[in-house]
Amino acid sequence: MDFLEEGVVSDTMAQSVRKSRSFWMMFAVCVLGATILFLIPAYIIRPFRYQSPRALVWAITIRQHAPFGSALAACITFLMAWVLWSRAARAGKALIVLGALLATGSAIMSRLNYFEWMFHPVRQPNFAPAGSTKLDSGEMVLALSFNNDARAYPVREMAYHHIVNDVVGGIPVAVTY
Amino acid sequence: MLHFYLAGINNQNFLMRDRETGTWWQQISGKAILGPLKGAALELAPSDELSFGLWKRESPGGQVLAAVARDQKEYDSKWEAEVAKHPVVISFPGTELKSRDLVVGLELSGEARAYPVEAILKQSPIQDRVGGNPVLVLAGPDGKSVRAFASRLDGFEMEFFRKSASDDFLLVDSMGGSEWNFRGCAVSGSARGRCLHALPAIKDYWFDWRNYHPETTVYRR
Repeated sequence: MDFLEEGVVSDTMAQSVRKSRSFWMMFAVCVLGATILFLIPAYIIRPFRYQSPRALVWAITIRQHAPFGSALAACITFLMAWVLWSRAARAGKALIVLGALLATGSAIMSRLNYFEWMFHPVRQPNFAPAGSTKLDSGEMVLALSFNNDARAYPVREMAYHHIVNDVVGGIPVAVTY
Repeated sequence: MLHFYLAGINNQNFLMRDRETGTWWQQISGKAILGPLKGAALELAPSDELSFGLWKRESPGGQVLAAVARDQKEYDSKWEAEVAKHPVVISFPGTELKSRDLVVGLELSGEARAYPVEAILKQSPIQDRVGGNPVLVLAGPDGKSVRAFASRLDGFEMEFFRKSASDDFLLVDSMGGSEWNFRGCAVSGSARGRCLHALPAIKDYWFDWRNYHPETTVYRR
């Protein structure tokens, strides 16, 4: 009997070790997945670097699906963290915290447009009449006119914001520099 | 109606996305390169890059984009010199222009043609052909602004000359001797009140124009 019982016990232990191992595996895959979903596009689409047509398509395809993908990966990461927490030793707990932080950070970054941190967008364009605008006469402007609605977008402003969404003479335009 | 925001960069030309569909668009071409609207293209609106003084004279009732208060200190009047310091990531050795030479690009009937801004400022008015169409490329009275027109009226090709002995910017045509201003409109003679068709022109760095128009020709004289 003793012998048999021992066999059963060691069997369930082996099972639980196997289970733990697959939870850890799942945890690692999800952390890595979320991180990659954020980092690959961020790495490829960075300024002052050459983008090959193929790498670019990869980057924006990943970026397009990253908000959903990284959120899903982060959720599973948390689920695994919850399952693994009680079984983990001190070093294991540290790994869990680190992994959860990485996955959360990546899921958040995948949803943020860091390009707009560099160049703040113009939420609502405001205009002033030509006569009361204090602009040097030599300053360059981008000029548009539809249906007698003439607009000027000073280049020094456009070189910072880069895009202004506007409606000129009833026609929606994206002014970009 | 779509609203666009900056979403990335492709060899120093911006990528934009629209809030409504999330499609990715290339700044220079207005083409949707990926996403739900892939394959679509925005229409290039005729626009001008003018000096404020000239624009104000032409459009005294116009409206000027106001500075965004919190970003005002970020605006840089020397942005052009700053940008010129940045490295370029693509170059086209063997072409006759340098990467950061400024060009004015025209696209007509399938032909793309680049006019070095330096050449326009020196040689205006330039009479040329793009895709078989007669074009007129002009530097403005401020010595900075550039415009391009279809050099044709009622189906007839026209030739223009700089009117000599005049401080104001005026051209004279070879047909009826009308005088034409920088807006491409006749102010005297038989064509008075008529205007040439303005062409959408893109002012760009040579490397960027060449990258997106690999078949482009270059105006030279």
